[in-house]
Amino acid sequence: MAKEKGGFAGKVLRVDLSTGKISLEDTVAKYREVLGGTGIGYKVLWEEVPAGTAPFDAGNKIVFATGVLAGTGVPCNGRTAVTTLFPSCWPQPLVASGHMGGHFAAKLKYAGYDALIVEGKADRPVWLFIRDGRVEIRDARHLWGTGIRRATLEISQEMGPESVVAAIGQAGENRVPLSVVMNSVSHSAGGVGAVMGAKNLKAVAVQGSGSVRIAGDKSEWERLVKFHLSILGANNQHVVPSFPHPQSEYYNPTSRWVGAPGKRWGAAEPPVEINGGLFDLNRISFRSNSGAFYLGDQAWRYTVRGNGCTGCPIRCHTILKVPSVEAKYGIREVAQNTCGGMVFGRSFFKQLPGGLMGPAALEACMVGMHMADDLGLWCNYGQLQRDLIKLYYDGTLKTKIGSDEYASFSWDKYENGDPAFLFEIIPRIAMRQGELGEALGLGTGGLLDHWSIPEETWTQDSATAYWKLGHPKHHANEDDGQCGVIINTQYNRDAQCHSHANFIRNGLPLAVQKKLAAEIWGSPEAVDGAGDYTPMNIHKARRARWSLVRKELHDSLGLCNWMGPWVASPLKERGYSGDDSLESRFYSLATGEKMSREDLDLIGERIFVLHRALTIRGMGSMEMRTRHDLTPQWIYQDLSGAQSFTKGTIRMDPLDIARAMELFYEVMGWDKATGAPTAKAYARLGLQSVADGLAVKKLLPGVEG
Amino acid sequence: MKPDMGPELPEMMLRAAKAAGLGAGLSRREFLFLSAGAVTGLAALNIGRVWGADAPIIIIDNAKGLLLADPSRCVGCLRCELACTEFNDGRAQPSLSRIKVGRNLNFGPEGPSGGVRVQGAWGSGRFIADACRQCPHPVPCATACPENAIIADPVTGARIVDTFACVGCRLCQRACPWNMINFDEQSQKATKCFLCQGHPKCVEACPSGALRYVPWRDLTREAAPGRAALRVVSAEKAKECLDCHLPR
Repeated sequence: MAKEKGGFAGKVLRVDLSTGKISLEDTVAKYREVLGGTGIGYKVLWEEVPAGTAPFDAGNKIVFATGVLAGTGVPCNGRTAVTTLFPSCWPQPLVASGHMGGHFAAKLKYAGYDALIVEGKADRPVWLFIRDGRVEIRDARHLWGTGIRRATLEISQEMGPESVVAAIGQAGENRVPLSVVMNSVSHSAGGVGAVMGAKNLKAVAVQGSGSVRIAGDKSEWERLVKFHLSILGANNQHVVPSFPHPQSEYYNPTSRWVGAPGKRWGAAEPPVEINGGLFDLNRISFRSNSGAFYLGDQAWRYTVRGNGCTGCPIRCHTILKVPSVEAKYGIREVAQNTCGGMVFGRSFFKQLPGGLMGPAALEACMVGMHMADDLGLWCNYGQLQRDLIKLYYDGTLKTKIGSDEYASFSWDKYENGDPAFLFEIIPRIAMRQGELGEALGLGTGGLLDHWSIPEETWTQDSATAYWKLGHPKHHANEDDGQCGVIINTQYNRDAQCHSHANFIRNGLPLAVQKKLAAEIWGSPEAVDGAGDYTPMNIHKARRARWSLVRKELHDSLGLCNWMGPWVASPLKERGYSGDDSLESRFYSLATGEKMSREDLDLIGERIFVLHRALTIRGMGSMEMRTRHDLTPQWIYQDLSGAQSFTKGTIRMDPLDIARAMELFYEVMGWDKATGAPTAKAYARLGLQSVADGLAVKKLLPGVEG
Repeated sequence: MKPDMGPELPEMMLRAAKAAGLGAGLSRREFLFLSAGAVTGLAALNIGRVWGADAPIIIIDNAKGLLLADPSRCVGCLRCELACTEFNDGRAQPSLSRIKVGRNLNFGPEGPSGGVRVQGAWGSGRFIADACRQCPHPVPCATACPENAIIADPVTGARIVDTFACVGCRLCQRACPWNMINFDEQSQKATKCFLCQGHPKCVEACPSGALRYVPWRDLTREAAPGRAALRVVSAEKAKECLDCHLPR
């Protein structure tokens, strides 16, 4: 079956670390209905990991899964979803996924696998060797205690320089809940490092010489790839530049399209000037510069080039070369990352000399990347750093840790924004040293428990950005009003959904966004201007549904939801419209199996609802509305007293949000009282057996207890 | 060949001699003088030609174009490798790509034990892409091929594998000093950069302008070969080499 289908590699690899057993499954025969990625992850956890399993139990499983389009020339692919029970999820661990880019997904496909399921626990440190058909569990005792960098180096010496190594650092080894697995220098999946550590799994290394077959006509494929390239914007599919340009009707200073003519990669040898046309396909990599976006104009001087995932032209990771940090801090002068990973070090400080975009901030980022990306520490989307800020400046910290330990930190350096402070705090978290190091690494939930701090202390304070279950907001009302809020209620970690935010922040004028919204979601009222919100309506609920469905679809196809969907474009001649069917067009050509947009979205919805079922079962309750789909109090406040639905505030209204959740449940076909999918909803998605399983546990609406 | 190279001198040599300003009746001394510079001379005069169908291929016309890869621009996205294979072979297979970046992606040509010389993602952040130099005569891969299966593309002059003639012996792979020849396990044939009929797909695909298709020049004397190659010349070919390269 799989052999006839293009796109799929064809096999799922299963490794039992307890018994050493290595086995294979047929991807299409067993997992076609959930495609790949998070789909395979949720299915495995549903069928094989019973409720009540703890993250560090041998019975927990980690599913590294990519999708049909990974390893091909489709722009913005190369993604691997890593699904497991998250130790940072509080008060009780639930299913969640980390997502890592880099080259792991492509290599796994070329090795012949769509997914890897790791189960059990090894009795000593091991690493997994995967080279095409050869899979071995190898001794990693010589690597235990080393960082990600050395582990990658030594494994590459053994396997060959082209192998891709996904490794944990000391943080994961030490079972710090805020830990990652990382491949290709800077590409991490958050939240899962400790689960690998608990399994004694130091790394998974892949080398593959095979191929991903394109079933369709190769000329048609080439045309579609080129079409996709032509409608790309910059990072996060921002489709207008941040600067005025004669070739662009619009510009928006908040856009991530920062590569203006005249800017240059100053640390390339020799420097590379940005030239050419704004829409040249041979200049796509110059559009985005995460270094410049986060650290200001100074970063251009230190930019070597962009880097990123296999096949993606965007290069949202920035390689920075800052010679001063070698002499000052004894660290490498070259580092690379993007977004939260790039600002890991800076985020610890409430202020720094020169401000958030000054030289100290730049150095702090370099120091942060150097340590966090080697120790394998996770920021929990910046929550780690915000927690320290709150604990310190509220005075809470002083009351919670012993005076000796308190005195062992250079708090003057912390208050003054001295990057040297990072050498004191970051290693202690990764190594669980001292009370502060231990507490911070637990994640917010564990930290609140550890020090008996009521959760309300966090949920009332907008500065924490805390949302629920031990994790922060991620593109909520600050970006997208009620749509953002709905999305943020749905997951068991910070919502890793960018479908909505990519569109809202794409830089187009609101009038154009509304025109596109009418085409895509049926009404211009599906979108508001950020910070200029109107009361909830059904169109926003439909857009929230679309966002979530596409997020799971991308995660299951190996595509990047930080770029997709591609419903807007930079092209005036298209009315700035993109293509809402791009995913299904690529899927059809790659596999040879014709699927419409609706067909594929149904699968995306199936995957999303499977996550819902896992959450319900994990919580032992179907009261999602009241117990899971929570919002923090701070979204209903405005420190300046502005009222909801006035221009300039992101303040939400509780009744309006209650209505938002109701409308969302309505468009999903879920029970409004509980927010739980009904039997009919499961059946429509082919999840009848899931419904039956929940019915037995009285977790299905309408089944009486 | 007889020692006194009178009228039996190959026609090609006569033309070369005339173009070099030497008289039609070459003395042995004049012929040796011509031979010494024969390769460069013929290349410069562009009068080298493939011999008749039943003669071993010795001299191949220079290619017209060349792929240049600029490591100061390369962003390591591998779109070139994907375009090369997807758009030509209908499958995404970087290990088969005729332009090669993936092998240098992580640690650069030095490899993981290169210390401070490590390039690539884990080192300096510089990505080196290797492209076929479309070597001038003597073309290592063509010379090594016992089946004369590497020939010049009529349009671009790119050294291409004639898949009908290729028997899959892999001698060309061993002969290339820069390790640029691939072997396609599916077809059991060698494959190499053929410049896509003058419109290289990798050049089109590169999102940072790191690849250019430029007029050919001889790159074989720049940059040391990456590996020890197996210099193979079959006996038949060696004999034909004597047409131009007589021992003194």
